Amino acid sequence: MLVSGISRAFRADGLSWVMASLIVFVAGNVLAYSRRYLAGDRDARRHRRDILLLAASMVVMAFADHLLVMLAAWIAGNLLLVRLMIHKGRWRAARASGMLALRAFAAGFVLLAAGLFLLAIGARSASASEIASAPTGGSTATVAGLWLVALAALTQSAAWPFHRWLTSSLNAPTPVSALMHAGIVNGGGFLLARFAPLYLSQAALLHALFVAGAVTATVGSFWKLLQPDLKRMLACSTMGQMGFMLMQCGMGLVAPAVSHLCWHGLFKAYLFLNAGSAVGEKRGDVATSVGSPVGILLAVAGGVLGALAYAATSGLGFGTADTTYVMVGLAFIAAAQLSAGLASGPLSPWKLVASPAAGLFGGGLYGGSVRLVEAALPAPRAAIPPLDAIYVAGFGAIALIWIALNFGLASRLQSTPAWKRLYMTALNGSQPDPRTVTATRAAYQS
Amino acid sequence: MHTLLPTESDPHRPGLGDSPASIRELVAEASDVAAPVWPLKTFIAANPLQGLEGRPFEMAVQEAERFRQADGRVEAGAEAVNRELIKWCSAFFDEGQATLPMPNRQLGFYRAFADLARFDRRLAASEGGLALPESLPSSPETAIDEALDRLGIAPDRRQDFIRQSLAALPGWSGHVKWRESWQDPAEGRKRPAKLVDYVAVRLVLTRLLWPDAATAEARRIEPPAYLAGLPEAEGRYREGLLARLVPRARSMASNARRRPDAQIVFCIDVRSEPMRRAVEEQGHYETLGFAGFFGLPVKVQGYGDERPHDSCPVLLKAGPLVRETPLGGAPGCIRRNQWGRSLLGLAASSYRWLKYNIATPFALVEILGPWLGLRMLARTFTPGLAAKIAGAVADGIVPPVSTEPCLDEIAPERRADLGESALRAMGLAENLAPLVVLCGHGGRTTNNAYASALDCGACGGNRGGPNARILAAILNDGDVRSTLTARGLKIPTDTLFLAGEHDTTTDRVGIDAPGRADAEQLRRIEQLRNDLAVAGVRCAQGRGRIMGLSAPAIGSAARDAERRSSDWAEVRPEWGLARNAAFIVGPRSLTRDIDLDGRCFLHSYDWEADRSGAILTVILTAPMVVAQWINSQYLFSTLDNVAYGAGSKVTQNITGKMGVMQGNASDLMHGLPLQSVYLADDRPYHEPLRLLAVVYAPRPRIDAIVREQEVLRKLFGNGWVSLACIDPSDDRAYILGREGDWGAAP
Repeated sequence: MLVSGISRAFRADGLSWVMASLIVFVAGNVLAYSRRYLAGDRDARRHRRDILLLAASMVVMAFADHLLVMLAAWIAGNLLLVRLMIHKGRWRAARASGMLALRAFAAGFVLLAAGLFLLAIGARSASASEIASAPTGGSTATVAGLWLVALAALTQSAAWPFHRWLTSSLNAPTPVSALMHAGIVNGGGFLLARFAPLYLSQAALLHALFVAGAVTATVGSFWKLLQPDLKRMLACSTMGQMGFMLMQCGMGLVAPAVSHLCWHGLFKAYLFLNAGSAVGEKRGDVATSVGSPVGILLAVAGGVLGALAYAATSGLGFGTADTTYVMVGLAFIAAAQLSAGLASGPLSPWKLVASPAAGLFGGGLYGGSVRLVEAALPAPRAAIPPLDAIYVAGFGAIALIWIALNFGLASRLQSTPAWKRLYMTALNGSQPDPRTVTATRAAYQS
Repeated sequence: MHTLLPTESDPHRPGLGDSPASIRELVAEASDVAAPVWPLKTFIAANPLQGLEGRPFEMAVQEAERFRQADGRVEAGAEAVNRELIKWCSAFFDEGQATLPMPNRQLGFYRAFADLARFDRRLAASEGGLALPESLPSSPETAIDEALDRLGIAPDRRQDFIRQSLAALPGWSGHVKWRESWQDPAEGRKRPAKLVDYVAVRLVLTRLLWPDAATAEARRIEPPAYLAGLPEAEGRYREGLLARLVPRARSMASNARRRPDAQIVFCIDVRSEPMRRAVEEQGHYETLGFAGFFGLPVKVQGYGDERPHDSCPVLLKAGPLVRETPLGGAPGCIRRNQWGRSLLGLAASSYRWLKYNIATPFALVEILGPWLGLRMLARTFTPGLAAKIAGAVADGIVPPVSTEPCLDEIAPERRADLGESALRAMGLAENLAPLVVLCGHGGRTTNNAYASALDCGACGGNRGGPNARILAAILNDGDVRSTLTARGLKIPTDTLFLAGEHDTTTDRVGIDAPGRADAEQLRRIEQLRNDLAVAGVRCAQGRGRIMGLSAPAIGSAARDAERRSSDWAEVRPEWGLARNAAFIVGPRSLTRDIDLDGRCFLHSYDWEADRSGAILTVILTAPMVVAQWINSQYLFSTLDNVAYGAGSKVTQNITGKMGVMQGNASDLMHGLPLQSVYLADDRPYHEPLRLLAVVYAPRPRIDAIVREQEVLRKLFGNGWVSLACIDPSDDRAYILGREGDWGAAP
């Protein structure tokens, strides 16, 4: 009885294992790190216990099949995160950050609860796996449920305009930020992946997700470039990355989205834990302008090679024009950037080889990483959406901004009123909530 | 912000009154509340109340307290002004974090602000924002004058109001003060910012966001509680120390010194003291204490460094540039080194090209995610091993090259001068040992925003090794030696100068290989290296006890120190200069064999070799002043870590690659982080005591120097430093009163 109860409440599939491995890995590192990093802190013990509980609740969520279990794990994880974020309870700004997150999470919880309820009604089942494998098409209840769940995902993954809690969350201890950016924000992607078969049949919803993702990706990435402080830069960057992950979901590319979640989680956790090193990091030669025509030619060559390498290593076939082409396009952009960087400066023979080779190598590695995670996930059972005008426009907009930045538009325009207005709007938009700023020295409490 | 008096009526004077010059003067006078805040790269300990040192200590503390904004009693308007000012400051003073920085910073802080502010909807939307004109006054002085006028600040209250404006965010205003008074002017011109700019920006924000600032309630000030207990604790420490030193003075042997096997000159830094004791226990060694820049006001550029840095106390102006250049002999090795460096540089650049751009970071995280995951695992669970492997790989790609300092920019005559004055000041003009090791120092920590706070203060927050190498090269030079002989300073032919560096995090002392040495010298060097290794382990064990290692773990204390040094999660890699308390000027025989617990700066001084008192004058006005800066930084960071310290490292956020904020955004948190002075959140490790200087020299000589030197009259007379003298004439201790009167020590 009990055993069958448990087996109905939980179900392990590739997605569960991938998400659980990620969370266990990051939480294990964060716990060990915190043991030294929080030495002497009066709340260190509670902090570690909450991290353990948070990791446990997220593992439960990863394996949950019964919707109530999933919902319970979700809210438990969110509440624990709020407590972890506040940490220094006497510090007004930290409490305000926690409260801001709590409000966002509460809204997300209500949306999720309503969404899951509607899904359960639509499929006459409270099992996530049964709901997900129900015949597509779906009743009104199912469609409404999917929209609500998607909205909940947007709040959890800090998509614009629900991003405020994340960009105001840096009053949290560094290891909590590491865990948050590698764990909790992935909740949104996890939900979408969980019900992916249903989403793939909802073209309008996919388009909406894609647009929301594209806006978030653009805004987050642009804000990131303006930030003078390290942690807010990382937060804006996460926002951009989550936007990209939502774009992938919107394109029906669930496995690449999960891959992105995982690798971004490790990447961002590392950068947070390494946040004390920012003073020594060298900057300077950020490639903001492309050089000679030969350089451009090399960049294009490297981009094409990289895109092909990505397609090969990630195991894509070039068949019908579907959304995977957007991914190939992004691989082109990254590979071309690498090649352009290597080709910059005075030209020499070795660059003619090294520059395109770097593009090839970068694109290949990118595809390999995606493939690695994809192999652990169940194969998609529905067709990937075709490449239509919305997807092309979204990709085109991002590509245009990329080209503009590379031609040094930002520094050329910096004296124009339009740029100043854009700069101020972005700077103000990315400011944390006023209550979460430590406005006076005495308002800080360690 | 709090005004001290309720506003009088007659706030509005017709027209604008003060001239730009008088506004600048007003700001300059008010700026005594701001103390310079150095950037993290060259973290210099300074007194947060430096501008108030002209007043007695107790009054200065109260004066600072008067302008502090206490939590919960700050008006919403004042908070809004602070918040917006933090936004503008962090954008303008960014030293390279943002890829797209604030536009037109070359105009200067105020002008760049005025240029952008009209696009700031937060200002336009504010209550007073309706008054924001299309263009603000073009000069900061006019803006200040106009804003004070609009705010209705009466002429006699202007200075006080500006003082409050500067004190509201002491970290940011202190950073501007550093730029104005201490930054290399060539650097400063790239993004000019003066206190006048800062005040102008602040006052414009004030008039927009807090138009009724002038009517704010006065605040009652109580003297901080910690003032009461301070003199007693200081007295206790002083009595204990003098009780140990005075008997030594009485039993001190006369000048007949046997030639030691080696002389090792350490920095005066308090961390040298336990090391010196441990080395002396190992053999017939003499140790000395001298400022770790070895009297060389130089710029140095290590091999492969992008640009040179000043390697001398910030009070001095750095002179000639000394580059480390590769020793001849292995051109293949040099080529591989250069090739390896450009390869690593290319890899780092590739990372930046993808990271600081649009669209490309999406691929970057997936390319590097697996690799960073593995690095995270290694650095967290096996930090020592991870650091070793990383080091070995780096050495494999960039094989190390032996280098020597190139002295071309120092004229031969000047080399002899520098060598002579260093030897005389160190008291090494005679009785030189066969080996003389000049030992600089530096900390070695990982992922530590405050790494440079652990380096040598006398070298401007840099490692001291390069200076030691330069002086050793000078003193080994045949031409210099013959010049010195002609001047009556004979260096024995068998004396070899060596450079070394004390790693204060692990207590390892590395000694450079000599250029040329005979078999006997090589044997001595080998012996010394062994003895230093043993001494290092001793020190690490002593430190392990302080760090709270259990008895069995003490055995592996040296390994623990290594781990601390390479652990990215470590917030207390070493204690730096915590618990510093006294500055002792005298011969080593005065302190030898006494366990001073790593709390004393030790400066070698022989009063009989300094008839004119010139050397003592330098010691008291330069190294002692630096020690006082350090001491006050630790003092105030411990007494009130929120007001004068940087808060907990747990929530710190590095801004602009130059400073630290707490969490989302805050004042620039100057001072030391909590973990540098506290064992745990509520258990201080540093014992806050004002510096006690102890000088072994006749009182009349000290009197003469103090009378002459204004800085000493200020520090001793206002109670920032207390001075004790052990007078060689009667071997008794005396204490200098604030009025300049000597009293016998109890």
